[in-house]
Amino acid sequence: MSNPFIRIDGVTRTFGEVYAVDDVSLDIQQGELFCLLGGSGSGKSTLLRMLAGFERPTTGRIIIDGRDMTDVPPHARDVNMMFQSYALFPHMSVERNIAYGLHRMGMPRAQIATRVTEMLSLVQMEKLARRKPDQLSGGQRQRVALARALARRPKLLLLDEPLGALDRKLREETQLELKKIQSSLGITFIVVTHDQEEAMTLGDRLGVMNEGRIVQVGAPHEVYEFPQSRFVADFIGTVNLFDGTIAEDRDTDAVIASPEAGIDIRIPHAVAGTAGQPVAVALRPEKIVISRTLPDPYDNVLTGQVTDIVYSGNLSVFHVTLASGKRVRVSRTNRLRAESEGIGAGDAVQLGFTGHSAVVLAS
Amino acid sequence: MKRLVALIPMAWLGLFFLVPFLVLLKISVSEPAIAQPPYMPLLDWADGILTIALNLGNYIFLTEDPLYLLSYLSSVKIAAISTILTLLLGYPMAYVIARAPEHRRGLLLMLVILPFWTSFLLRVYAWIGLLKANGIVNNALLAVGVIDQPLVMLQTDFAVYLGIVYTYLPFMILPLYATLSKLDADLLDASADLGARPGTTFLTVTLPLSLPGVVAGSMLVFIPAVGEYIIPALLGGPGTLMIGSVLWNEFFLNRDWPVAAAVAIVMVLVLALPIGLLRRVQAREGERP
Repeated sequence: MSNPFIRIDGVTRTFGEVYAVDDVSLDIQQGELFCLLGGSGSGKSTLLRMLAGFERPTTGRIIIDGRDMTDVPPHARDVNMMFQSYALFPHMSVERNIAYGLHRMGMPRAQIATRVTEMLSLVQMEKLARRKPDQLSGGQRQRVALARALARRPKLLLLDEPLGALDRKLREETQLELKKIQSSLGITFIVVTHDQEEAMTLGDRLGVMNEGRIVQVGAPHEVYEFPQSRFVADFIGTVNLFDGTIAEDRDTDAVIASPEAGIDIRIPHAVAGTAGQPVAVALRPEKIVISRTLPDPYDNVLTGQVTDIVYSGNLSVFHVTLASGKRVRVSRTNRLRAESEGIGAGDAVQLGFTGHSAVVLAS
Repeated sequence: MKRLVALIPMAWLGLFFLVPFLVLLKISVSEPAIAQPPYMPLLDWADGILTIALNLGNYIFLTEDPLYLLSYLSSVKIAAISTILTLLLGYPMAYVIARAPEHRRGLLLMLVILPFWTSFLLRVYAWIGLLKANGIVNNALLAVGVIDQPLVMLQTDFAVYLGIVYTYLPFMILPLYATLSKLDADLLDASADLGARPGTTFLTVTLPLSLPGVVAGSMLVFIPAVGEYIIPALLGGPGTLMIGSVLWNEFFLNRDWPVAAAVAIVMVLVLALPIGLLRRVQAREGERP
C-alpha cells in the first residue's frame, strides 16, 4: 500500500491525570470517509481537535499528506472543520461566513465571489445568501457550515457530529447528500459521531473508540458482523452475549459449553484459544429464528419462554427467557401483517441459529 | 398582570425622573429673585389677568458667557478621553476574566466590585494622600531615586483622569465581561480553523461580537463622567473646567437657581441627543438582514 494520507502515530493526550486519548495509531487513505465512533468521553472529539490543531498531542505525531503537523497551529493547517454547534459567525451573512476563510487566504475578491457562488449552489443555499445565521433553520445552518468548511478546498475535512442537531428524516437525507458531496469532491472526510447507525451508513471505514483507545477499525459490515470484543459487539447494534468456556477446539469446529445458554454451542470453525478458556458467544437478534417448533434443523437450538414482544412497525423484537434466567432478544421482520404463528407472551418457543452467525469473543 | 409589572418601572421613571425634570424645566424659565425659593412664579393671577412669565433669558445668558460653552466642551472632552482610557484598560481585564477557568471567575469579579465596599468619597479622598507633593507615590519615587523633585500630580487634569478611570472602571468591566463570557469559544476555534491568526480573530470576531458590551460600558462611564463633580473638585486644579462645578457654583454660591437649572437642562440635552442617535443607528443595524 502507498503511504497513508493521514498517519496518526502513537498519539496520547492527557488532561491532568486523565488519558483522553491513549496511544492511538491510525492510518487513513486519501479520499476516504472515515467515521470515528464512540460514546461520550471516548476521546473521539479530542482526537478530532488534535487533527484540527486545537489541541496538541502530549506524545505522538500527526502526519497529514507527508507533512508532520503535530506542532502546526490551526490557522496554518490545510484542514477545515465543521463544528457540532456549526459555529457560524452570527454577525455575518451566509455569504460572508463562507467567504471568511477565503479572505484569510488572501484570495482576490473576484475569485472569492466566484467560489462563494459555487459553494452556495453546492449546498443549494443561493437564495439565502444574504441572510444572517439566526434567520436560518437548523438544516440550513448545517449546509452553510458545510459550505464554509469546504470553501477553502481543504485536503481534509473534519466533521464533529455533523448531523447531530437534525431531526431523523432530515438526517437520513443529509447523510446521502454528504456522501455524494464527499465522493464528488474527493476530499478526505473524518466524521465523529456517537450514532452507530450514522457511522455505518456514512463511513467507508469506522474506528470504534472506547476510553481513549481505538478498539476496532474496519468496514461497517466487518465491524458489525465480526466484532473483536464484547465492547464493540455491544456498542454496535444489539447483541446477545452468552458466557461460556471452550469445551472442544479442533481444526474444523469447536464447542463452547455455556450453562447460560443451556446448551453446548457448536461453532463450525476453529476458535482462537485453548480448552477451558472463558469466552463469550455473541449473536445478533436478527440471526436467530424463533418458532414454537422449528421447521428446519439448526446446529444450535435454545428453548425458552416469551416474556415480552416489542412491536416497532417493520420489526418485532421477542424477549425470551431461557431456563438459566438469561434473557435473549430475537428480532423478526414483519413480513405479514399478523404474527404468523400467533406467538404471544408466555408461550414456550425454540430459538435456532447456525454457528456461522455467532462470534466467539475472548475479551 | 404583565401590564402592571411593566407599569412599575414607568411609574418609577415618571416619579423620579420626569417630575424632577419638569420642575427643573420650570425653574429654568423663571425670573431669578431674592426670595425663598429664589425665583419668581411662572404663573401670576392678578386682577383677572393670568400672566405667564417665560424667561428665556437664562438660556440666552448661557450663550453670552463663554464660560458655559467652554465648560460643556471641557466636560465632554474629559469624559470622552476617560471613557476611552477606561475601555482600553477594562477590555483586557474583562477578556481575561471571561477566559479564566470558571471556578476563578467569581473571585476575579469580586475583586472588580470590591472597591464599592468603601465609600466613593473616601476612595477619591485617598487619592489625595497618594498624589500630593509629599504623598506616597512621590515619596516612593524619591526614595528609589527616579526623581529628585516631587512631581506635581494633584490638582491637575492628570489627577482628574486618574480619578475618573479608577472610579468608573468596574462599570466598564462588568458589561464587557457579560458579553465576552457569552462569546462561544467555538467561534474563535472556527476562525482559527479558517485561517485567521489570533489578532485577526480578535478584530473580525471577538471585537464586533462584544460591541454591545463596549457601547453599554462606554455609556455607563461617559454619562456620569460628564456631570462629575466630586472628582474634579477634590483632585482637579483651578484650571479644570467641568460643568458639574459650574452647576454647583450657580446653585450654591450665586444662588441663581434659574441659570443653574438651565445649565442642567442643557447638560441633559447634550447627553440625550448623541445617545438617542446611537440607539437609532443600532436599531437600524439590527433590522438590516
